[in-house]
Amino acid sequence: MSSRRSRQSSNGASRITDDQIIQLLSKLQQLVPEIRNRRSNKASASKVLQETCNYVRSLHREVDDLSDRLSHLLSTIDAESPEASIIQSLIM
Amino acid sequence: MYTKLSMLNFFVVGNIKMHTSSKQLKKDFIKKWVKGLEICCSSNKKMDVMERKKKIKLCADIALASAKNATTSWSNALIYNAKKDDENAILVDNLLGPESRFNSQRTAHQMITFHKRVRSKRILKKSCTVSQRMKKASPPASNLATCIAKRLVKKRTQVLKKLVPGGEAMDEYSLIKEALDYILSLRVQVDVMRSLANATEVLD
Repeated sequence: MSSRRSRQSSNGASRITDDQIIQLLSKLQQLVPEIRNRRSNKASASKVLQETCNYVRSLHREVDDLSDRLSHLLSTIDAESPEASIIQSLIM
Repeated sequence: MYTKLSMLNFFVVGNIKMHTSSKQLKKDFIKKWVKGLEICCSSNKKMDVMERKKKIKLCADIALASAKNATTSWSNALIYNAKKDDENAILVDNLLGPESRFNSQRTAHQMITFHKRVRSKRILKKSCTVSQRMKKASPPASNLATCIAKRLVKKRTQVLKKLVPGGEAMDEYSLIKEALDYILSLRVQVDVMRSLANATEVLD
């Protein structure tokens, strides 16, 4: 990514320039909380990619934990209570 | 169904600062997720915790991918991968419903063509490297830093490819573009799931 050559995209017709990739990387930087706080031109490409990977992994973990939490909550609902019927009608 | 959704929307779609496309994605996701959970969980109320968790997660992933309406590669790849598992294939079809834009033949074709292209590039590279090695001298010190930087970027890109669904079949540029959208969508998914979990806890 630090080379000056432009790259060919998969269909061969258009060439993707390094500048376009750099622009995308800076957008990515805005999204990822770990590196968003730094001044934009300070984060290297490998740092942005690394933090992106970490962020995606943490989001995956959150989804997994939330599924776990929901499953536990739904299974511990006392079937007789009025709250249960609300939840049950919501998603069951 | 209408009142259920409006209740959920009340809990979940509260964030005013959210971009309009994210808001729309949130609404579509909630609708599809709730519908999917009805299909999955209503039949068997005596599920054990692990099984229910897997169903909740599968419903959430399929709902998220389906809400993208086949506009992104990662969502197509996610659905394609979910269908590969024989246990889930029928369930996924039920969750997607008849109006789904997902085209499994097209996605499969895209994946196969990409792998073929990667293989032929690799063969070509191998035949070139032998003659190149004879000509190359050892690189000067100033290029070493660039070399290391390039290797790091390559390594990180490989990792990202494994994290984004369908990433292995993407070039660098598409990978980053898809990763951007994937992250935004994952955030929507987490927001909705967290709101439902919190609401359920309060009512418990």
